[in-house]
Amino acid sequence: MELLFRGGILYDPAAGWAGPAEILIKGDRVEAVAGSLGKVDLPVIDLRGKIVLPGLVDMHAHLREPGEEGKETIADGCAAAVAGGFTSLACMPNTYPPADNKTVVSYIRERARRTGLARVYPVGAISKGLEGKELSNMWELASEGVKGFSDDGRPVMDGGLMLRAMQFASSLQLPIISHCEDLSIAEDGVVHAGPTGYQMGLPVIRPAAEAAMIARDLLLQEEVGGKLHLAHISSQKSVAMLKWAAERGVPFTAEVTPHHLFLTEEAAKEFFSDAKMNPPLREIEDQKALQKALQKDLIGVVATDHAPHRPQDKENDFLSAPFGVVGLETALPLVITRLLCQELISWERVVEILSLTPARILNIPGGTLAPGSAADLVVIDPQEERPVEKENFYSRGRNTPFQGWVLKGFPILTMVGGDIKMLAGKVKGFSPDFPALINESLLKESL
Amino acid sequence: MFPGNVLSIEDLSVQAMEEIFQRAAYYKSEDRGVAFSALKGKNIVLSFWEPSTRTRVSFELAVQKLGGTVLDLRPEQNSEKKGESLEDTVKTLRSLGADALIFRHGAPGLFGRISRTVDLPLISGGEGCYQHPTQTLLDIFTMKEAGIVLSGLEVVIAGDILHSRVARSHLLALPAFGARVTLVGPPALLPRELVPPGLNYTYSFDDVLARGGVLYLLRVQMERHRRFFSSPGEYAALYGLNEKRLALLNNETFVMHPGPVNLGVELSTGALHILEANCPDKVLIQKQVRNGVYVRMAVLDLLLSGRMV
Repeated sequence: MELLFRGGILYDPAAGWAGPAEILIKGDRVEAVAGSLGKVDLPVIDLRGKIVLPGLVDMHAHLREPGEEGKETIADGCAAAVAGGFTSLACMPNTYPPADNKTVVSYIRERARRTGLARVYPVGAISKGLEGKELSNMWELASEGVKGFSDDGRPVMDGGLMLRAMQFASSLQLPIISHCEDLSIAEDGVVHAGPTGYQMGLPVIRPAAEAAMIARDLLLQEEVGGKLHLAHISSQKSVAMLKWAAERGVPFTAEVTPHHLFLTEEAAKEFFSDAKMNPPLREIEDQKALQKALQKDLIGVVATDHAPHRPQDKENDFLSAPFGVVGLETALPLVITRLLCQELISWERVVEILSLTPARILNIPGGTLAPGSAADLVVIDPQEERPVEKENFYSRGRNTPFQGWVLKGFPILTMVGGDIKMLAGKVKGFSPDFPALINESLLKESL
Repeated sequence: MFPGNVLSIEDLSVQAMEEIFQRAAYYKSEDRGVAFSALKGKNIVLSFWEPSTRTRVSFELAVQKLGGTVLDLRPEQNSEKKGESLEDTVKTLRSLGADALIFRHGAPGLFGRISRTVDLPLISGGEGCYQHPTQTLLDIFTMKEAGIVLSGLEVVIAGDILHSRVARSHLLALPAFGARVTLVGPPALLPRELVPPGLNYTYSFDDVLARGGVLYLLRVQMERHRRFFSSPGEYAALYGLNEKRLALLNNETFVMHPGPVNLGVELSTGALHILEANCPDKVLIQKQVRNGVYVRMAVLDLLLSGRMV
C-alpha cells in the first residue's frame, strides 16, 4: 500500500521527531517523514487532531497456543494486540508443549504468519520442559528465531543453571528474561503479604521473594555480562535492588506491568480472582516506587504480561484460580490516562517504554518511524474517552481488573508492515464489517 | 434487617449480634429436651469439606432442637466426582427444597461467590484461614454469660494467628464491642501486616499474662505447622500455658479456647488441671462448646425468619 498520513502529531524519540509530520508509506516501509512533503498523488489520510506513534511492542505476552487454545489462540491474541495498538509481541514459552524445541517455535511463528496481524516473536525456554533442571537447546532455539529466553511463569531456582544460561545466551547475543521469585520464600502464596491478603486468610508471596531473586540475578549478571531483562517488577524492594545495580554499573533492563503500576492489593478484596496474578498486586508505596522507577528509567519497559484464562477457571475459588490478567487491549490507554494525562511522563517516554526500548532489547524491527523502518504505527485520538468493556475484547480472556475504568487514548488505527490491521476498533479478518477496500473517503469517515 | 448469609462476622452489625445473643439466651433457658418449632418443615444441608466435630455436631443439634431436618451432604458421596461444580450442586440443593446450607471449606471465598448467584442462605462453619463467625458469636455470648463486660475488656489472643479463622473473626468483632485486643504469638505465626491498625501485638507471651481480662488460646494447627517451628515442644516452651506460667497469670483472667485443645502444646495438662481445680468458673472452654448449640440455633432462627432487628 502506498499512502500519506498528513496532519497528525508524530512522536518518535529515536528519530528526534516531536511535532506535526507527514509520513509517506511505501510497501511495508516508511519512505519519508517531513513537516511537508509537498503535493503528492497518493491517497491521503487526514490525521488532524490525532497522535501518531511507532507501533507498540509488548515483550511479555502469553498466547497459550499450542495446548491451551480454550484460553487464547495466536490468532485471537494477535487480534487483541492490534486492537490495543501493539504491532509486535514476544510470547512466553509456557505452552503445552512448551517452546523448548524448534518444532514448537516454528509452529508458533507459522500460526502467527498465517494470522497476518501482529509480528510475533517467540521466547524460548531456558530449561527443558521449563523444569529448571537442564538447559534447553538454546542454540537450536536461537537458530529457529527466538528473540530471548525465559522460563516465565516460574523462576530458575537453581542459581548454577541460571549462570550457565546467562553465559550461553550472551554468546548468542540474546536476552535472558527472568521471572524473579524465590519459591522457597514464596511457597504456595497467592496474594501479597499485606493487610488485605492476610485479612482474607490466604497464603502470601512476600516482596522479598522477588527482590532476593533479582539480587541473585543481578549479581550473576555482574560477573557474566550479556543481556539480562527482569520481568514484571512488583515492589519497592525490587526497585531498590535495581537502583543498587545501576549504581554499580551492572547492565540490565526491567519491565513493569500496567496492573502493578495502577492497582494495589485491595483490588483483590472479596476474593476477586481477576485481580489474582503473580507477582501479586502490592501496596500504594510499591505502586509509587514503580511509577517513579519508570520515570527515572530504572525500569525502561511497560509490558502487559497478557495472561488470558477461561472464565470458568477464574471463577474457581481464589486459591485454585489461575494467576494472570489480560492486558493487550488496555495497556496503552492506561498508560496515557494514568501517566501521560497526569503529566508524570511525556509522549516521548510513552514511545520509549511501550515501543522503542522493548524493540531494542529484543533486537527486532520497530520502535521508530525513521525513513527505511518498518511501517508499524499506531494512531490515537487523544480526545476520545470511554469505559473498558471486556465483553468487546478480541482476546478470548475476559480476566481484566480494569473493567469499567473510563480511559483516554484508545488506538483508532494500527498499521503493521504498511497494512492497516485495525481501523476504528475493527480488526482485519476478524470484524465482519472491516472494509474490504480502504480508500481515502472511507478513512475520512472512519477517523 | 438480618443478613441473607453469615459468611463473615462483617455480615453482622453489633445490633444483629446482640439479637443473636438474646435469642440464644432464650433457647438456653427454655431448653427442656422438647423440640422447638422454628425450623419445622425446613431442610438444612450440612456440607463439611474439612474435618470438624464440635461445629458440625453443634449445628446438627441446633437444627434438630429447632424441629428442622438435617440433610447430610458428604463430599465424598456427592457429584463433584462426576464433574459437577459446587455451584451447580448448591443450585440443585436449592431446587430440591433446601432452605439453608451450612458449610465448612478450605478455600475461602468459594461460597461467597456462590452466594452471589444462588438464592440459598449460607452459613459458614469455618472457611480456610478466613472466618469462623459462629465461633466468635458463641465466644462473645459465653463471655457475656460469665458476667464479663466487653467494653474496655483486655483480650489477649495467643498462638497461631496466621492460620486462625477464629482470630480473624474476633479481630473484627471484639473491637466493635469495645474490647481491647492484644495478639501474641511467634513471629512466624503473627505477621505484623495482619494486625489491624490500633491493635497491639507482641512476641512475648510472658509479658501479657498479668493483664487479666480474657486469655484466648488458639489451637496450634499441627497439620499446618510444617516449617514454622521445629517441634510442639519448641512452641510450648515459648507460647504454651504451663504450670510455670500460671504463676504469672493474673488470677482474675478467664481462659478460653475454641477447641480442640492440643494438650501439652498451647495448654499443658497440668495447667489445665490446676485451673479447673482452683478457679473452675474462670475456665470457659466447656461452656463455649455447650453454648455453641444455642448460638447456632439463634443464628439459624434469625437467618431463616429474616426478622428485623
